[in-house]
Amino acid sequence: MSEPDALGDDQLLELLGRALAEDAAVPERRRAAARAALGWRSVDAELAALLHDSALEAGAAVRSSGAGAGPRTLSFEDDGTTLELEHDGAGGELLGEVVGVPGAVVRVERADAEPVAVRADASGFFRIEGVGTGPVRVVVERDGRALTTPWVTL
Amino acid sequence: MTGPLSMLVPAAREGDQHAWDTIVDRFAPLVDAIIRGHRLSEADGDDVSQTVWLRLVEHLGDLREPDALPGWIRTTTRHECLRLLAARGRVRPVDPQDDAGLDAVAEDTTDTGLLDAERAQLLREALAELPEARRALLLLLLADPPVAYDEISRLLGMPIGSIGPTRARALDQLRRTRALRGLGPDLVGRRG
Repeated sequence: MSEPDALGDDQLLELLGRALAEDAAVPERRRAAARAALGWRSVDAELAALLHDSALEAGAAVRSSGAGAGPRTLSFEDDGTTLELEHDGAGGELLGEVVGVPGAVVRVERADAEPVAVRADASGFFRIEGVGTGPVRVVVERDGRALTTPWVTL
Repeated sequence: MTGPLSMLVPAAREGDQHAWDTIVDRFAPLVDAIIRGHRLSEADGDDVSQTVWLRLVEHLGDLREPDALPGWIRTTTRHECLRLLAARGRVRPVDPQDDAGLDAVAEDTTDTGLLDAERAQLLREALAELPEARRALLLLLLADPPVAYDEISRLLGMPIGSIGPTRARALDQLRRTRALRGLGPDLVGRRG
């Protein structure tokens, strides 16, 4: 009959108190931002697949152990179109290529700022300044179709 | 904190803001606790939090089993924390010598904190399942600064002598809620 580890009433009440304190501790700005996220709902949007993210690969540790982290690189694919991105972190420069699609319109969307759109050059390359850290997604319009990436934290 | 996920998730999928807000209020403390456990900066924590919610909005359409939502939120938050830490060059996302990958590392580093975060989530849900009068008593007993028994007695219209026994019954009922039923005595205590 011995269950020495069983939690008593006082302990349970204390845990409940701590759980409620976590609720009270959520910053109101995070709650407000989370509520506003529903505004980004798009019905039946097909999202591009993540092919690569330097923050997820094994070599990231080796590279970043030296003189700080290198640029963040990401690539996405949708329906045969590949989007390559390179972000330099605090500098806010986003370089990219819509592989093999010249002149595509590339739009960077973020939850807390106006979207920024540019047109890729004749080789499919583009550059956008002032892309700070935080959640973004990129939409590429080409031939009346859109490639939309999942949200990613830069 | 009311409404089953099987109703809230489809409603939010259709754009029902109230259903979405209810989901946010229910799980924001879990997202927050996991973020805190990863020691991100305040700004990075805000960013991960927002990414998790934006990804959930994307994901509502293919979340076939609404009861899988807590697990999805937990896994996604943890994953996004590790991903951002790696992007900031602050931790090794994986050991190159070990091909078990990100998930294995995640288990190693955050297991204990995660269990606490999960139990806290279940405790909040359990409290929401209790009848109003019992929930009110437990909330008064947990009030900070503390509320004296004679004040609780007056507020709830309950004799002072009943507060102790009712507290015990309320906690036992808490252990028997749908949320806590599956947890062992080491996590929530023995059911009376």
